[in-house]
Amino acid sequence: MARARSRRAAPVTFAEPRIRTLTVLGQDPSLADRDGVVTVRIEIPCERLAPGPQGARFHVVDCDASTQTLYRPANIAGPDAFVTVTDAERLVASRAFHAQNVYGIAMETLGCFEKALGRRVPWSIPGGSLDHAGNGRGHVLKIAPHAFSAANAYYSRRDEGLLFGYFPSQARQSARSPKTIFTCLSRDVVAHETSHAVLDGLHPRYTDPSSRDQAAFHEGFADIVALLSAFRHERVVKAAFQDERDWISSTALTAERLRRTVLAGLAEQLGDELGQVRGNPLRSSASIEPNPGLYRSDEYRQPHKRGELLVAAVMNAFLGVWLQRLRPLQGKDGKQAIARERVVEEGAEAAGHVLTMAIRALDYAPPVDLDFPDYLTALLTADHEVYPDDSKYEYRKALVKWFGSYGISPVQSPNSPEPGMWSPPTRPVSYRRNHFESLTHNLDEAFHFVWENRDPLELHSEAFTYVPSVNRCVRVDRDGFTVQEIIIQYVQILGVQARELRRLNVRAPEGMAPSQNLTLYGGGVLVLDEFGRLKFHVGSDIKGPSQTERLQCLWAHGYFQEKRQAQRRFAELHRARAMGSTRFLEEGW
Amino acid sequence: MAVKKPVSVTIRTYAVGFGDCFLLSFQYPGQEKHVLVDFGSTAVPKDAPKNQLLLIAKDIAAVTGGKLHGLVATHRHADHISGFATNAKGTAPGDIIRALKPDVVVQPWTEDPKAQQKAKKATQTVQSGPAKLRALAALEGMHEVARAAEAAGKSLREVVGEQVAGQLSFIGEDNVKNLSAVKNLMGMSKRAYVNAGSKSGLERVLPGVKIHVLGPPTLEQTETIKQQRSRDDDEFWQFWRRQGLATTSALSQGKALFPRDVATVTPPSLRWFRKRLGSVYGDELLQLVTMLDNAMNNTSVILLFEAGTKRLLFPGDAQIENWEYALSQPKNQKLLAGTTLYKVGHHGSLNATPKNLLWPLFKNKSKTKSAKRLLTLLSTREDKHGHIETDTEVPRSTLLKELKSKSTLLSTLDYRKNELCRLTVVKF
Repeated sequence: MARARSRRAAPVTFAEPRIRTLTVLGQDPSLADRDGVVTVRIEIPCERLAPGPQGARFHVVDCDASTQTLYRPANIAGPDAFVTVTDAERLVASRAFHAQNVYGIAMETLGCFEKALGRRVPWSIPGGSLDHAGNGRGHVLKIAPHAFSAANAYYSRRDEGLLFGYFPSQARQSARSPKTIFTCLSRDVVAHETSHAVLDGLHPRYTDPSSRDQAAFHEGFADIVALLSAFRHERVVKAAFQDERDWISSTALTAERLRRTVLAGLAEQLGDELGQVRGNPLRSSASIEPNPGLYRSDEYRQPHKRGELLVAAVMNAFLGVWLQRLRPLQGKDGKQAIARERVVEEGAEAAGHVLTMAIRALDYAPPVDLDFPDYLTALLTADHEVYPDDSKYEYRKALVKWFGSYGISPVQSPNSPEPGMWSPPTRPVSYRRNHFESLTHNLDEAFHFVWENRDPLELHSEAFTYVPSVNRCVRVDRDGFTVQEIIIQYVQILGVQARELRRLNVRAPEGMAPSQNLTLYGGGVLVLDEFGRLKFHVGSDIKGPSQTERLQCLWAHGYFQEKRQAQRRFAELHRARAMGSTRFLEEGW
Repeated sequence: MAVKKPVSVTIRTYAVGFGDCFLLSFQYPGQEKHVLVDFGSTAVPKDAPKNQLLLIAKDIAAVTGGKLHGLVATHRHADHISGFATNAKGTAPGDIIRALKPDVVVQPWTEDPKAQQKAKKATQTVQSGPAKLRALAALEGMHEVARAAEAAGKSLREVVGEQVAGQLSFIGEDNVKNLSAVKNLMGMSKRAYVNAGSKSGLERVLPGVKIHVLGPPTLEQTETIKQQRSRDDDEFWQFWRRQGLATTSALSQGKALFPRDVATVTPPSLRWFRKRLGSVYGDELLQLVTMLDNAMNNTSVILLFEAGTKRLLFPGDAQIENWEYALSQPKNQKLLAGTTLYKVGHHGSLNATPKNLLWPLFKNKSKTKSAKRLLTLLSTREDKHGHIETDTEVPRSTLLKELKSKSTLLSTLDYRKNELCRLTVVKF
């Protein structure tokens, strides 16, 4: 056997940059301002970049299944070649730019999550592509910027990649309208698909068949990240602001006016053609009038429609906060005009904060059977933990108001420190048989903790239980000190027949055969403070009324009649959104 | 003068394999009137001769004595209209049917050729024009998708895999515009383009029979039953136009987007992913073409013939999206409740006999045999559409079990070798 070679480590050099700056499109090639096509310079973590580009998290593989073509890898490791380009056609014609754009926006989106959570975010791809073992966790997600000729783009866990289609434009040819529409050149589409991948890494069970809310959550959440992250770039927001004056009068700064100008402007930027990949999320959501009956209405039962409620609530709350931030600048009488630059800056600040809140909430959300009230409660709790005082800009107040305006209320927890938050655990848990240091990172140690405390945590004793993740996240507290939290997820799975449901206090759907085999899922998240004490236990019960609701929903949607597994569910979901279609699985045999 | 009334009807269910062909012969005192409902197949019965459709056409000519009074082409799928195709020699089944000179040809409103001419114009100006015209333009896009899928089934067999390729070819072929048959239908006598609630055009040739058109709904009719108006008037149709363009541009041209950058070898590290992308694309096309198949099924004409107390229901391949409008109206629900004979939708597929909205309405269902028991006609062939592993096989076993249990079922699966048709007689 050959002896392992020993090499002397290269000396550390401080000349190695930590940040890479790349030019990407502000929205897509059709968005232009006085200076030409709207591009932005984004800052992403610098990494060793092989041709592809290929880094530690993404690998751009330019392969086209429609024409059975593989392209040479693009090399963008050197100086940014597109800094000064203002001509959209040059960018569209450059395959290297396509690669740079899709890599840059994917890295930027991933960066939003990692910054908000204070840790690396894993993928949930198997990573078994070489030996087909498929039992590990892949580190590198592939991106195919020209995967196929189709008006679709999606994340596929099974195929371990983000796949972007292209299609011919239907618009008349002009200098500004390219012949082919590339979905990889849309910031919104790339950020949306990357968000699906990241969310899947954090909560792999959110793609399981479950409640209507869970099916809608993935799509709505990916829209929220894509839309709010657009506000990071002032040039994009300026272009959306349909007012070229340097000073904005106070009459133009109302929620309704901002909705009609900035949100509508951004929606227009998403474009008719690229927007058709999965509909125009912003246009649809911004136009939903408040109505507390919507959450329970038939109209919003379909996942692709239901997700729009989530987007509408968050985007409207964001507008409310934005205005709240501008109020002190309008003078005592509230009538002073504000510099446009400042209005845009405050918008970016508000969007950044709401985006961070939306992402942090994921750590406080149950790992299975998520519903919108759970998510709202997680949003409020996660924010309260970092910013107990909400009085200045009233972020949480705005969220409660706007979710409520569509009929979504937080979970009522009797002992919560603030209305709408999760309650601290009522029953004491034992730490005596655990080791704190090991508990911060070790799955078996975490399972041990769950096992020891299964009574106070009220776990089902017969269910198969496992711990999919233990994460340590670090946040900066208001006093400038770092705050550490340990987030432990556990999942419970119980296989039963319909006839056994009654003893679990679950009602079987009408018409279901007693011999029908079913799998029930439960689980929770344990949030431990920096001393390892349990702060919150957010659980989704494997028995009880919530399971009844879940089974009813799956039964009504024909899940038990349908063996077909939606292995590429986002592809289907996007098509349903693009077509505005309704499925009637309950009418099938 | 008393209105003539038929005393009975004889329905011939022909053995076309995977397809539909029904000849309805209404017996009037001293006279018969013949209406042909569909004539097509994408796979003849397993042991049938290759010229099965020709044999059927000749039989229809013989039974009708050289005269058809009405012809219904429920929708454009090949398994419903391929028998109307002609050839240069004038010896094809479609030539024989044409010679029977039907007095009226009934088709869905989506086939109106006058509108279609304008629709081509509408394709170029997407933002304007009536929804109907845009819908018709989209039909062209649908055919493009089907053609691309069919081509992909052949050219990309290695990339997408055998099973997917086979399904692509089969569904694609069914949806490809059958130009010869379509032209033949367009050239036959007077035509009636119908929608839910309109006259059928058959009233004149079938006196004493009320004919209710229950589908397809127009786009405006569909809008009336939606809880919320579609944000984009025609999201659905735009989708097909776009997909038509996308699939054909890549497959027909097959050219690389960036020819100067093409790699000559696939490095080992990328082979798995490249193969995977092929399978992704196959699935993408298959899902598209399946959606297309469903959409085209939903342009089916749904006819309910009412004579005396008897009602005969011929819904083509309509699925719930088509049925939804008709079923939203109580008077139609009442009419359907008394159905005497039901032609099983879409060859017994899982979603063409709406399980909760339509099937429970039929009050003549019964587990015991009786004179009033519901009659059902099923024209189908196994192993051609869908898969048992995915609960999508046609005919769907659960539906078949229900049909056998609660109706008197005539199924072409039970025909003997070389049996051309079976007769069902309903007395009024």
